[in-house]
Formats: sequence, structure tokens, C-alpha cells
Amino acid sequence: MGLLAQGTALDWPDAKKQSHLVRAWGIKQLLEIWNRAKGKERDAMLWGDEVEYLVVTYSKEDPKVLLSLRQADILEALANDKSLAAKGGGVPDIQGHVASRTDDPFPVFHPEFGRFMLEATPGKPWGIEFKELLNVEPDMKLRRRIAKDHMLPTEFPITLTTFPRLGSPGVFTDPAYPVSGPKLRSQFVPDEIANPHIRFPTLAANIRSRRGRKVQVNVPVFRDEKTSWPWKDPTVNCDLHQWPEDEDVRTGGAAPDNFIHMDAMAFGMGSCCLQITFQAKNITEGRQMYDQLSPLGPILLALTAATPIYKGFLADTDVRWNQISKAVDDRTAEELGDKPLQNNRWRIPKSRYASNSTYISTDARLRPEYMDPNLVIDEAIKQELEEGGMDSRLATHFAHLFIRDPIVIFAEDLETLDLSKTDHFENIQSTNWQHMRFKPPPADNSIGWRVEFRPMEIQMTDFENAAFAVFMVLITRAILSFDLNFYIPIVKVDANMETAHARDAVLDRKFYFRRNLFPARPPRRAASASSSGANTPVGPGSRPATPPAGPVEDEYRLMSVNEIINGTAYAARSSSGAQQEQQSSDEGDEFFPGLIPIVESYLDSVNVDVLTRCRLATYLDLIRMRASGELCTAAAWIRAFVAAHPAYARDSVVSDEITKDLVAAVIAVGESEQAGRGWAAAGVPGLERFLGPFRRGGA
Amino acid sequence: MTKLILSTGNIVSGGPSIIRKPGAYRSNLEFTNSLRSNFLAAQQDYAPDSELQSNGNGNSSANGFHQETEGAGRTPLSLWTAQEDGVLFVPRIDWSLAGLHEEPSRYQITVKLFFLPTASISDRGKYASEALDLVLQELRAPSIDLLVVSFPGMSFDGDCEWEADKLNSSQGNDDEEAATWPAIEELQRRGLAKDIGIAEFGSEKLARFLKRVQVRPTVDQINIKNCCNVPPPLVKLAREQNIELLVHSDCTDILSKGTLRELLGQGLQGAGVLADPETSVEGLQGDLAPQWVVKYTAVVRDRGVIENKGYFASADLVEC
Repeated sequence: MGLLAQGTALDWPDAKKQSHLVRAWGIKQLLEIWNRAKGKERDAMLWGDEVEYLVVTYSKEDPKVLLSLRQADILEALANDKSLAAKGGGVPDIQGHVASRTDDPFPVFHPEFGRFMLEATPGKPWGIEFKELLNVEPDMKLRRRIAKDHMLPTEFPITLTTFPRLGSPGVFTDPAYPVSGPKLRSQFVPDEIANPHIRFPTLAANIRSRRGRKVQVNVPVFRDEKTSWPWKDPTVNCDLHQWPEDEDVRTGGAAPDNFIHMDAMAFGMGSCCLQITFQAKNITEGRQMYDQLSPLGPILLALTAATPIYKGFLADTDVRWNQISKAVDDRTAEELGDKPLQNNRWRIPKSRYASNSTYISTDARLRPEYMDPNLVIDEAIKQELEEGGMDSRLATHFAHLFIRDPIVIFAEDLETLDLSKTDHFENIQSTNWQHMRFKPPPADNSIGWRVEFRPMEIQMTDFENAAFAVFMVLITRAILSFDLNFYIPIVKVDANMETAHARDAVLDRKFYFRRNLFPARPPRRAASASSSGANTPVGPGSRPATPPAGPVEDEYRLMSVNEIINGTAYAARSSSGAQQEQQSSDEGDEFFPGLIPIVESYLDSVNVDVLTRCRLATYLDLIRMRASGELCTAAAWIRAFVAAHPAYARDSVVSDEITKDLVAAVIAVGESEQAGRGWAAAGVPGLERFLGPFRRGGA
Repeated sequence: MTKLILSTGNIVSGGPSIIRKPGAYRSNLEFTNSLRSNFLAAQQDYAPDSELQSNGNGNSSANGFHQETEGAGRTPLSLWTAQEDGVLFVPRIDWSLAGLHEEPSRYQITVKLFFLPTASISDRGKYASEALDLVLQELRAPSIDLLVVSFPGMSFDGDCEWEADKLNSSQGNDDEEAATWPAIEELQRRGLAKDIGIAEFGSEKLARFLKRVQVRPTVDQINIKNCCNVPPPLVKLAREQNIELLVHSDCTDILSKGTLRELLGQGLQGAGVLADPETSVEGLQGDLAPQWVVKYTAVVRDRGVIENKGYFASADLVEC
């Protein structure tokens, strides 16, 4: 989102009138991109990671830790740093495109929705040299150090997904503002919680306005020994009469029993995540990666779980995903199916922020049965795209994204249609937050077709963030090399996404996953017949290139994250504690090789130097141990930290005092990582179970 | 005497042979499994009976190969193998399918040649050119980037790499290794291999080797297990001599006589190429001597995608 683009943002009633125009122009721009870039070939494998931070104000003396709302000042300080700019770093949204004057440009920083957030990316995309993969972790540490250097001494960039007391009664921001402002109309957070750039408050206000009421973000509360039951969220204020929406909690059923109730976009979009974007060699490979990474989304979500607290209470879920989904859900009552359709065109089963709804690859292994039977598309748009030359499958994908209205429209952009730009297309595309995003090249075609992997939660340390980023990079290389097939029906990916939310889903739940990832061997004769070769095949007859497919239900089964990541043999060993069972699981029908062994097999087949391989092995080890339960997720560590805190009363309440100590621990871990001292020096309980033997002595 | 050339074809997208099995680290399983599945595939593809079921059904089994030996119903040898100029190709190779998708310069091509203890030492130069020729033909490439040679009787084993380095010093045969090297240098001089390297040389062996050769290897492949402590003397020497230490997980003695007989024999796991005197099943007769094995890998340079990987092996069949 270019912050430089200023203008007059339309309020919803006006925006609504223009939504058709934006869609129409967006489709024209998309066809322009398509025609320009569909033949783009041989782009290198480049990739990038995005790390998001919360900025907190913390000092030993103050009784409370607060969210700092100085995002603009911090970005300003970063943008004004001449020495940072000289090294290629800075804030592109303020300075314009930062020309990289060095081969290894410094990281760049970006604003985010939350005014207490910051995003940082590498100064230039990463390549696929294995040694380069080792630069990711130092670069992430550098980003954190640079960010910290441009903050007040009492401000810290931390990588918790959410701030535990966001929206709790009393003061939780610095500076503090009164709640119940005109844009968000939230009874828990002030309008000032959002980035003040007109785009963001407009986004929040128009979502609320389109929806016809405030968003409802309800998370089941974790029931502890002394949690009253049924539990009523004690922070809900039923006596507010400022806005019509205040009625929701009284008569609208907005705050049901046993749920933590939240009512604003900031509760979702204020979450930090770890996103990875890959450039494909061409559109075909991009479409393949989009599909193949999609079933991995829920698995990586469960594996990176880090979000057990909302608004000062322990939740009964471990991840952020559904909360963001609800926080930006702009569907009307008609679209939700609560009222008969009158003014809206469709009932829409999912929020704009949700798991993928389409597969888009041209892969022959993509069976029609995998597609979402509930997919809603705009038939007219599909037809227009097809008439413009796009194939039906990709046209379906975009015709699905384009069922949504644009939320933020600037009046100035509606004067003329500029086909050399992509703004209207991006307006719709970038407000479809599915767990993967298929990204066409930009207007100048300088970048290739890309795929963004979006489900992972941010991890507390840069070591972990680097580990997950590198793992995803390696898994894409294995997918393309071994031509792996992860297809399962989209409805099963949806179900997995729900499963991933459960407390300790990583250890306790099972996920639908494809049994056999390997391609069928192409028969020689079919292959030679299709090639221009001289040899005539010997012998009569020929076999079909693909064997007849069996029932889709036989292609997948339920597996634990341990089985998926480490393989059935490892999982059998680690769960039984003994070593025998290996025999039975080794070759049987339930045998599954595991993603880590697959990545290792990939690494076995390429030239990697000894040091690099050892370091990559520590990343794989972290993921292996998180999947097997030898180490716990951040969510589990945070729960254990709260449970062991002397001030915790077993009533699900995460007080200011506990929050302060938790954040202090996170800061201490971050500082010892930054200093290369190893975790032990942080003096924080429970780290052995969480970070294990890694980076103990510093790196 | 007949010469046999065994081949796996491209194993990279050929299913699970390439995936490391638990406990199978540093073994020849990838090689032997992929040979076996290629034999089986060729027997099916060239079978006279078109009713034969295909294997590799995408769904039925996670480990891919359900081997059903057909016993007497095997595809006749003459259909799935090919005899050319005194060389028997097992299976036959359809060279029209050879080649890479893009121009060869876009790939990093690595070749590892395994000299075997069962083969003649004086013929190693010839073996090296034979093996490299086959790889170049298979990939339709004019040259390769890295040729690594592995000598018999060497390993880098031990509790930790420290131990391995010590044990390594007395392994192999310095004279034979030094005598072989000029043939490898020659391949490089002819422009067929940009870089040349060795495998499993610890610090002491490497130091001795360097004193005896004209062109220094630029790569030493070593095997690391769980501990990542590469012995400091080796690290130091490699750094001083500008030799890159690369990781591998191959075993050195990759093809023994016994394994080869089993692969080609009439047993449950065999391809039925050899005669069985006990059951009087027809086939080739004689004593099999493995000569060399070569592994090749082509990786798209700027994308890190392995496009082609496979093995060739050569053996002499001496009729007695």
C-alpha cells in the first residue's frame, strides 16, 4: 500500500456507488497485465520475507507495559537516517523508492494497519544460493536492531502476534485515548489505534459501514479451574449509548457467553505474522506453487501457533487466523445468509480474509473433485476475462476475488482509467486476504509471477522466524524438483484451517493430508510418442499416461502434524517412546515420508558446503522438534508462563502485572539473541522446552 | 565378455526412490531402489502384453513400488534391454528422450564417479571417460561443472568427525589414488569438467594427496552425521588450499558383486537378467564384475530446482 498516494477517500455510501466502476477498471487492468506478462519466462527464484513487530513501551519502573503509538515518528526517524539511506535502507513509503546503492542494501521498513506496528523486509530479495539462506537470520536481527535504534530507550520492537491486553479496560496505549470514536465505534479501542493515514481508518469504517454493524470478533475463553461458568466477558460495557452500534451487545447478541468479545478491525489486523513471497519462473510454475503450498497452510499455522491471549484473557484457541477473518468481515446480513437476498447478489460463505477458495494450476493432477463446491464467482467477469484470452481456471479465480467490493476508493483515481497502472486491480486483489496470494507482475513487468504464503504466525525470535522462512523456501524447491502433489479437496483444507485453531492442535489434532505425494511414472512409450524422437516404440499397444483415478476420499487420510512433518516412522518412534513400531509403519499403507525427510533428500541431491548444511540442519531440527512435541510452540510457552505466574488466579485473566512480566521476558530473550548471548542468559523460565538446545551459546 | 550398462533414468520425479528412508542415511538404497524400479518399469513398458497394469498409480501406495515378479511371465530380455556394439543396455535407453529442458549453461551439473574395488586400477582413466560420455549423452550437454571422484575403501566414519579424520588417514591407497588423478586432470584439460574434486579425504590424506598432484581438487566431499564439528585440521587445510568442503550422503562402496547379482538375478528382487543354474531359467551366464558407478545431477542454477538426477553403472560379464 503506497502511503504516498493521498487523496479523498470516499465514505461507504459514495464508495458503494463506484464499486462497479473500480471492478470494471480493475478487470481491464488485469487483462492488460495478463497479456503483457503471460509469456514471461525464466525468472529466477527470488524470495522475500516480511516480519511484523509490535512496538511496546516498557520500563522496569512503570507498573504497566503499553503499546507505543509512535509508529509515524519511528518511521520518520528511519526515513531521515542518512547513514541508513546510504546503505540502501529506509522507508520507501516516505522516501519513495530507495535506490540501492550497494550490493547488500540494508533492510527497509513499512507502516502497518496498527499504529503500534512496524513491518520490515530485506533490502533486496533473497536468491537461492544456499549460503544466502544463512543471511536471513542475521538480516532479521539487523532489522530489529535498526528498528530499536530509532525508538526511544523505553520502546522495544517485539514479535508477539498480538498484544495481550489490547482492548482491556484502562490504559493500554501510550499515549492513551478515549474509546468509542466515530470511525471504529469500538467500546474497547480508540480510533487512534489505527494508522492515521486516511486509508486505514477509512478501511475500518467502510468495512463496518458495509457490513451494517460492527465486526464481531468472538474467541472462546479458556476455562481454567476458577473461571466462572458460564463466563460473561466482564469488560463488555452494556451502558454505552454513544453510537447506534452500542446496542449490539445489549440486544444484538454480539457478546455471547463463554466468548471473549471484541468489536474492531484492530483486534485482527493488529496481529503480526510472517509472510513469505516466492517468485516463480513463469506463470505455470506460479500457479503450481500456489496450489501445492495451499494444503500446507493449515499445517504451518498450527506449527507456528503463538496467539493464546486476547484482551486480557486466555483464549481456548492458539492462533490468530479466525480473529483476523472476523475483524475484516464486511459481509452484509444478506451475504451471511441471515436475511433473504434483496440488495446483494450472493450469499458468500467466507470472509474476505479466509483460507483459499480456488486451485488454479494447469496441472493434470488437479481433479475437479478438489474444487470448492461452494465457490461464488461473478460470471460476467469470468466471461470478460475469458474473452480477453484468459483460461477458464484462472478466470474463475479472479472472478471469485472480484465478488468483493473495493473498500477504500480515492475520488482522484476515478477520473480516468490508466491501463499502465494496476491500482484498481490491486484494490480488489490486496483486500482479498486468503492464505495464499497469487501475484501478477507489476505494471512495468520488472518482477515475475509470485506466490505469497501467508498463514504463519510471527515467532518470538529471529532464529525461529528464519527457520520457518528457510524451511518454506526449501519445501518449494523440493515440490518443484520432485514434482510433489499435495492436492486434497479445498473443503478439507478449510476444515484443517479450523482444526489448526484448537489449543495444542499441533500435538493433539489430526489434519487431512494426501497419502502419496509422488507423481506417477510417465511410461516410456507415451513419452517417446510425444517427443520428436526417432525411436519407434517396441511392442504393441500403449498405456494411458495417467492411470484411472480412484475415489478422491482414498487419496488422503487424517495425520498428525508430527507425521506430516517428520514422517510416520519418526512419529511412531517419538510417540511410543520405543523403537520397534518402525517396522510396521515403514512400508505399510499408512507410511508417509514426512516433509523434513523430503527436504533432506532434496539437500542430499544438491551441492551444499558443510557449514551451510549444518546451519540449515538446526533450522530443520527446530521444526522437527516443534512438530514432535520435543519443543513447544510459543502459544504453549506463553500459556505455561501465565499459569506459573504468582499473580495468576486460575481464572483466565491475564492481568497488567502478568502482561508486563511476559513482555519483559520476551524483551529479555530478544536482547540476549541480539547480543548473541544465548537464551540461558535471559533468565526466563521455560525456555528449554520452547527453544531447546538452539543458539544456546549464541550464534 | 559382455559389458553391461545399467541405468536408472531420471529419478528426480520418478517417485519415492529418491526420498531418504529412516535409518537409510548414507547407504546405496537410492541407487539400488531406483535401478530396481527402472528395470521393472522397462519390463512393463516394453511388455508384449499390453494388458499389464502400470505401476506408479498416484494414489494407491505411499511407497510406490508394489513389486510383482511375474516369474515365468517376465518380459523377454530382448525386448526391454538392448545390445549395441558388444554393450548390453539394461534397460534399453531411448536416447530420443535425453536432454535438459533449457540450454545446458543454465544448469549446475555435478557428476560423481565411484571407482569400485572390483575393477582394474589401470583402467580407471578409461572408466572415467566412458562414464562421463554417457552422462553428457544423457543430458545432451557439452561439459559438466564438477566431477567428483570417489575411491574405494574410504570412509569418513566415526563417533564424531574428529575420529573420522584420524581413521581416514590410513584408508584407501595413496599410490593408486595419485596414479588415477592425471586421467581426471585430463578430462578437465579437455574442457569436459570445469572443476574436479575428490570425496572422503581427511586432513592427513588430503595433505599427502596435494603433494602428489599437479591440478588440485577444488572440492572435497565429506560425510557429516549429526555432529557438525568438522575437524579443525581439515577446515584449516581446506581454507588454505581453497578447497570447498561439500556434504554428501553416499556410501563409498556403492555396488558390490553380491548386490549386482541380486539386482540382475532371478530372485524376488531381481530383474531376471542372469541365468539361474538351479532352476535352469535362461539368461546371461558368467561372473559379474562391477566396474564403476556414476551419479549425475543437473540443478537449474538460479532456481535451485533439480531437473535431472540419475545413475549409470558398468559391469563386465566374464563367461566362464
